[in-house]
Amino acid sequence: MAAKWIETVTGSLEEKKQYREHKARVKALPTQYRTAVEAIERYLMYFGSITKGDVMVTMLDDLGDLFEQAAADGTPVRDIVGADPVEFVETFLANYSEGQWINKERQRLIRAIDGIADAEM
Amino acid sequence: MGKQMTEMLKGTLEGIVLAILAAQPAYGYEITAQLRAKGFDDIAEGTVYALLVRIERNGLVDVVKRPSEKGPPRKVYSLNTQGRAELDEFWKTWGFMAERLETLREGDKK
Repeated sequence: MAAKWIETVTGSLEEKKQYREHKARVKALPTQYRTAVEAIERYLMYFGSITKGDVMVTMLDDLGDLFEQAAADGTPVRDIVGADPVEFVETFLANYSEGQWINKERQRLIRAIDGIADAEM
Repeated sequence: MGKQMTEMLKGTLEGIVLAILAAQPAYGYEITAQLRAKGFDDIAEGTVYALLVRIERNGLVDVVKRPSEKGPPRKVYSLNTQGRAELDEFWKTWGFMAERLETLREGDKK
């Protein structure tokens, strides 16, 4: 039971473990891929504001898959992220919008308008 | 690729990827390579991958991990029944769009 109590204070320990595994995975990548992943992660943290731990871990895992495979294939970083890296990151991020802080407000907006529209009928 | 092309491609890339998967199961890099071979030269592997993540999360594909000679196992995507229905819907919409736009173009020529 103690573990459960600690987790309510610190967040999921399992997710922390997965996060550490992800970090180790990134560290093992060749320099240029590692640097690219770190730059993308930085942007994801600023812009994405993913607050759900499980969604965040899944997202980082998917990002790791892409770069590990690309490193194994020797795909140049430019060919992975394309001419517009912002475009790529935002397309990628759209898959995890349910974990974003702003999603609560999106749902709230949708409910508010739904309520008004229903009353209008 | 021009700006307009990029914008148009954004709206249709999911359908294009589903159509490629309808022909045969493939992994991410293969799909990107096929797109490039078909003339979409500037397409980024990451963009295709992000799309694959989405269609997987929407339940349109089945995924199996297959070991590769080098590097981690590859995720091979194959279209499932739901994906097939989505692709049929895409072609219907595409047909409608193309027909409407052609009508506009005919009007423009006069």
